[in-house]
Amino acid sequence: MKIWTPQSLIAFEEKIAELFNKGEIRAPVHLSDGTEESLIGIFKEVKDEDWIFCSWRSHYQCLLKGVNPEDLESEIVAGRSIALSFSTHNIYSSAIVGGQIPIAVGAAISLQKSKSKGRVWCFIGDMTSETGMAQTAIRYSEKHNLPIIFIVEDNGISVLTETRKVWNSSTLRFEENMNSTVRSFKYTSKYPHAGAGKRVQF
Amino acid sequence: MGAYMDELTRAMNYLGQQQNTIFIGQSVEVAGTAMRNTLLEVTTDKLLELPVEEDFQAGISIGMALSGLVPVSIFPRWNFLLLATNQIVNHLDKLKELTQMDAPGKVIIRTGIGSENPLHPGPQHTGDFTDAFKLMCPHLSVVRLDTKEMIFSEYKRAYERTDGVSSILIEWSDKYID
Repeated sequence: MKIWTPQSLIAFEEKIAELFNKGEIRAPVHLSDGTEESLIGIFKEVKDEDWIFCSWRSHYQCLLKGVNPEDLESEIVAGRSIALSFSTHNIYSSAIVGGQIPIAVGAAISLQKSKSKGRVWCFIGDMTSETGMAQTAIRYSEKHNLPIIFIVEDNGISVLTETRKVWNSSTLRFEENMNSTVRSFKYTSKYPHAGAGKRVQF
Repeated sequence: MGAYMDELTRAMNYLGQQQNTIFIGQSVEVAGTAMRNTLLEVTTDKLLELPVEEDFQAGISIGMALSGLVPVSIFPRWNFLLLATNQIVNHLDKLKELTQMDAPGKVIIRTGIGSENPLHPGPQHTGDFTDAFKLMCPHLSVVRLDTKEMIFSEYKRAYERTDGVSSILIEWSDKYID
């Protein structure tokens, strides 16, 4: 399996940005930046049998789980960037806010019932972490000792809405009630929420 | 052939005998709904009582299906199932397209049209959204069990199908006391 470095991840995403800006991807893309070192660190713990559940921004996670970069690029160019799934790598993503969360919990229950050694890794953003679904899932998973870890990728905004401002709180609930089920890291990105920073006219 | 309720019990017993099934929802392990009375012969290791949060339950069902189980996901009334519409429409109905798999796993959803006799619970408990869900979920099998003759064969078909299509099977609660 390819060993990814921050530089090689950034280079992959810059290639996708270029393809998008040239109008060669006729579908939305949500590009990653600033999360390289955090995700590389997390994926050192991820095993082949583990499951990965993501949102609409999942290119890095797919690469780090072992998806061939050419296969991933093909899927992105085919217009499937915002809901990437690779069944052979146990990866499922959702373009609906929090959509992957209860599905991840269901997979974790299956693993627990089958006494599998596998774990589930569920990636969510900071705004999503405040939703009722996230709170339900985190609480249920913690109380049932499910083999699942929620990773909050915290850039402080949802599109351009400031998460802590709209909740009128300097802290979010995952920061107030940290437990072994939830991890988080902060980052800033050079890319906008969607696209690659250049208006593309098809 | 027995009465409507007897056929439901026969169908649940059949599903309960399959190695990879699991029954989830509210009032599956404990008493509380008429549907529960059709699960009394299913072994307890196959019953998972969940908190009442329908979209959470529907998502859990999908995750179980993706990872090898066949969940029988029980929502006692259509009106309650509406709260799971997000997961059903945005994920379950699109599962084959999203995963690009021929058979990504299947969910058997069991719901009902609330009974009007002997007590009429009013408009929030007696809805029938079968036609609406047929329109919203073109990739699901949505079948209203209008006769007792349909029950066993439809549940058996829902379990045995190999095309990865999930099912919503709708029962008439008023027929439970035929």
